[in-house]
Amino acid sequence: MAIGVGALLTACGGTAVAQLPALTGPPQRGGILRVGLVGGGAADTLDAHIPVSTTDIARVVNLYEALLYRDENFDLKPLLALSATPSLDSKTWTVRLRQGVTFHNGHLMTSRDVAATFARIMDPENPKSGASSLTILDEVVVLDDYLLEFRLNTPTATFDDSLGQYSLGIVPKDYDPLHPIGTGPFRYDSFTAGRRSVFTRNDNYWQDNEPHLDELRILNFSDDNALINALLATQVDAIGQVPLALLEVLETDPRVDILNSETGMWLPFTMRVDRAPFDDVRVRQAFRLVVDREEMVEQVLSGHGTVGNDMYALYDPGYAENLPQRVQDIDRAKELLAEAGYPDGLDVELVTAPIQAGAVEAAQVFAQQALAAGINVTIRRVDTTTFFGDDYLQWDFSQDFWYTRNFLPQVDNGSLPTSPYNETHWDNPRFIELVNEAKSTIDPTRRNELITEAQTIEYEEGGHIIWGHPNQADAYQRYVGGLVPTGTGLPLSGFEFRRVWMGGQN
Amino acid sequence: MTTIDTHSEPVTDTPPGLMRRIIRQRQAKIGLVLTGIVVLVAIVGPLLLPWLTGYTSTEFAGRPFQPGGMFGTDNLGRDILSRFLDGGLTLLVYAALATALGMLLGTVAGMLAAYQGGTLDSIIMRGNDVLLALPQLVFALLAITVLGPQGWVVVLVIGITHAPRIARVTRAAASAVITEDFIRASEMYAVPRWKILLKDVLPNITGPLMVELGLRMTYSIAAIASLSFLGLGMQPPTADWGLMINENRIALTLQPWGVILPVLAIAILTVGSNLITDAVARASATVEESK
Repeated sequence: MAIGVGALLTACGGTAVAQLPALTGPPQRGGILRVGLVGGGAADTLDAHIPVSTTDIARVVNLYEALLYRDENFDLKPLLALSATPSLDSKTWTVRLRQGVTFHNGHLMTSRDVAATFARIMDPENPKSGASSLTILDEVVVLDDYLLEFRLNTPTATFDDSLGQYSLGIVPKDYDPLHPIGTGPFRYDSFTAGRRSVFTRNDNYWQDNEPHLDELRILNFSDDNALINALLATQVDAIGQVPLALLEVLETDPRVDILNSETGMWLPFTMRVDRAPFDDVRVRQAFRLVVDREEMVEQVLSGHGTVGNDMYALYDPGYAENLPQRVQDIDRAKELLAEAGYPDGLDVELVTAPIQAGAVEAAQVFAQQALAAGINVTIRRVDTTTFFGDDYLQWDFSQDFWYTRNFLPQVDNGSLPTSPYNETHWDNPRFIELVNEAKSTIDPTRRNELITEAQTIEYEEGGHIIWGHPNQADAYQRYVGGLVPTGTGLPLSGFEFRRVWMGGQN
Repeated sequence: MTTIDTHSEPVTDTPPGLMRRIIRQRQAKIGLVLTGIVVLVAIVGPLLLPWLTGYTSTEFAGRPFQPGGMFGTDNLGRDILSRFLDGGLTLLVYAALATALGMLLGTVAGMLAAYQGGTLDSIIMRGNDVLLALPQLVFALLAITVLGPQGWVVVLVIGITHAPRIARVTRAAASAVITEDFIRASEMYAVPRWKILLKDVLPNITGPLMVELGLRMTYSIAAIASLSFLGLGMQPPTADWGLMINENRIALTLQPWGVILPVLAIAILTVGSNLITDAVARASATVEESK
């Protein structure tokens, strides 16, 4: 859809340059894909379980595979597992593994490798990135070569969601990150932190005909300018995370195609519900009403995004989509502010930082829009280090950034008093009750009802202003095939380069 | 040539013809024209909005980085020309205020040190050395991080970091003057110290001070623009040249005007004021020689 609009705009622009035809036909075998990404540095790693930068994620997705994964439609699909099923009390999950999958070193992958992987991730001495979401996991029991039991300490009906994270790639029992061996479509060839990684085709890959490429190169760039120039100079074949404001200009280049994916990412304003003036729910409601969401998406995201309705977990089956779309209502906002004791408006400080493309821009548009309701917003721009420093999660009025998640995992991360990133200090007893009930409810219909109800509370009283969901935009040369839009928020089809192929000249 | 008239107050003339000597140099003329253009744009620019471009500097004119209007739109879809016209005045005012503050502090400290000598001299000059050891921008970053990026903090910090450099020059220039006989004469007539400093010493060190003024003005402009670029000077959504460069640099290859206009303005301004400063230096040097 978004690509269609872009193509239309390009056509209207009247550039008379002949466009290369889009690739058609079956995927071709062979070729080298050079991928450019911004981010990464000396701390880059090949370790399967501690990916941090975007380039780290690109590497782990291609070297390793988890038990389950989120596909381009944000559906949870089996990968190395064939199935993951909960017990009646959802405290025990049984996972059946795919048979005949081999590691890059030729060894068969079995239950013992999976158990060893989870032991490595949850090593109390040295917990890896995924450990924080596995605190509910008590033990992994090997039943036979291809059957395991995950025993939990808390009933969790959505534990499979946790198993689908890219940072939980299955590695052999004797895994050593210096010899990065996994089951992924590509095997390690060479790697220089902060510069480049070269991976070659895994000829024994278990999925039919994949990967199509002979070689995958991931190149680090230090800024967006260099990245875009490299694409225009054909030094790379595909780049991830193009600034949305530059999309239309890139689209005018006939050699380049844009991958514009709608996502459930969100870039909220965060109001602390336990501090004045935001401890008054009417002030929070007023602030949500002053936002012209359409204008936000236009100015901040250049129109490449969807309007938000103050709720996250856009793709959750329980997402409260029946609630009316909140729109700008300055008169009502003024009324609410007057009721709350601010008849002449009020002054607030908004702390912002370039934590993500569009953050500082969104703050400026908000300040502009809030003026109409008598809200004087003073923007305080700090650098990212200061933002995530000691005062992070303490600012009264600030911003944050989240990737796509479903409701329950997101709540665990940011909306409970026990969450590691509860920016708004949200602590609503009824909400917590509903969330806990939803977590242990196996019946999806009932669970979704509970989620909808919990979301309604946040929609009415919460501390987030969720004005929109940015698209994820990537760009690639037209001879690259197999890239599809994806809702996960990860660039370039979730980095699944096993499906990518080179057409035409290669 | 400074003379002493024993019948009245000491003569307070600036060296005759300094202004004329400056203007007579070609590079001064070029400098004045260059600086004049930018200053004019900065002062008149805000008055022309939104009449000239149709937009104020914070209004949205369209989507970001679009070619519409004379120079297109910036990273938030605001008209670049409007932002440019509105973005110079604060920079100039802050730079002027910071320079003035630095000149005031530095001159007073330098003259006191030179005139009093002894312990006060040592205290002032060693304090100076400590301040000089701190790189200006690092000091500014530190102060702004602690106190917050308000305008007065920027002015204060830049002014204070200028002071020691100006104080050194002032002290050196004043040391030569205070040994002159006319100062002794004034002292004998029990003229108050502040009057001696103000009426006898100051007029005789204007040459070097003018050079210093020009130099510090250039540095102030650069420092304030740098701080804005780093996000620690002017805060968005204020239009500001330094900030504009930072905001629009991601589109440098594709929609460069948002960067080019402010860069050009700052470059012309600094080159212009440098040329003037240079001319002042030459003019006052010829005055010295003719003494």
